[in-house]
Amino acid sequence: MTYEMIRLLLIDGLMAAIAAIGFAVISNPPRKAIFVSAILAALGHSLRFFLIKSGLDISLSTFVAATFIGLLSIVFARIIHCPAEVFSFPSLLPMIPGMFAYRTILSVIRFMQNSDVIKSQQFMMDFFHNGMTTLFILLALVVGVSLPILFFPKLSFSVTRKY
Amino acid sequence: MRIIQNVSRMAETFGYDLDLSVFQMSIMMTIINKEDPVKLLTQIRKIKPLHLNFTIVSELSTLSWDTYDKHLPFDEVTSNYCQIINQKRMNSSLVLFLVAAANAAFCGLFRGDFIAMTFVFFATFAGFFVRQALMKKNINHLVTFTTSAFVASLLAGIGYVIHIGHTPEIALASSVLFLIPGVPMINSILDILQGHILTGIARLVNATSLIVCIAIGLFTSMLILGLEKL
Repeated sequence: MTYEMIRLLLIDGLMAAIAAIGFAVISNPPRKAIFVSAILAALGHSLRFFLIKSGLDISLSTFVAATFIGLLSIVFARIIHCPAEVFSFPSLLPMIPGMFAYRTILSVIRFMQNSDVIKSQQFMMDFFHNGMTTLFILLALVVGVSLPILFFPKLSFSVTRKY
Repeated sequence: MRIIQNVSRMAETFGYDLDLSVFQMSIMMTIINKEDPVKLLTQIRKIKPLHLNFTIVSELSTLSWDTYDKHLPFDEVTSNYCQIINQKRMNSSLVLFLVAAANAAFCGLFRGDFIAMTFVFFATFAGFFVRQALMKKNINHLVTFTTSAFVASLLAGIGYVIHIGHTPEIALASSVLFLIPGVPMINSILDILQGHILTGIARLVNATSLIVCIAIGLFTSMLILGLEKL
């Protein structure tokens, strides 16, 4: 790993952490959960960045990163007595395929407005490409983050229990 | 779903069995007395539209375990519940600032340069301010989303029109991303995975219609600014 790569990874993690804090506060989480979600987002997003850079495709690397976040979130949930979802969801938010999602909608609108056959085919392709990418990334995120919860249901549903 | 487990746990403490089904607009619930199964009560209640609030989720979950483990009396549970529900939310101007910073950082994640990030910061600030103001007045959420997407992308698009910076298109594209309903999207897939397919689809449709609204807002401001491609 080169120096340049490490620098990029650090910047990526920092950006993701700021983004996670901002998107987390919209849903009013407990104070201590905000910091945890920032840490998880930084780790998860830079892991995903690293995987994409090393040649994995975006949904597979999202899956790995989401699983990583899910595992860590159960550990943190035991420590600070909060449901794991409270901070694992906000830390996934920087990875939500928002850009792909509305490109899908935009290409539908363009397809509707356009009468040229070749251009319409291009927009149809855009629609499917972006739509499928959105769907697969979303599935990867959710399945990844909930795999640990499904594997250890007792553990993850009793974290708020104090005795 | 967590809610079913928590509510059943609380019911069990007081000696009742409970069945619950959750829809988008209403909740249907039956409670049965364990000792005397003839005594039962079924009710359908409307759901008050609440904003996402993880503090409430977390503390209600704690409350349900406390009830189960400590056998709290009913009055105390009720008073605790009211206390949790009526908590104040975080200061809205702080939220406004943090969301704007977050979206600027998000723009940076998409390789936007510093000028683009500045534009996104102010665009998001204005857009989220509009969203908060409209939400306070209880205006339809689809209208709210369209309007704030329009405001945010109009401001971010200015950078495109006057040719500042190297990545104005990234600024324009990521200026509306703070509106994307991330948590409902994750929740909907999670519901479908756990077998609550109707609820999951309802949430998915809800999230998709919000995204369509965001796209409409973005598209309108692109038309006004005379921009062709993103």
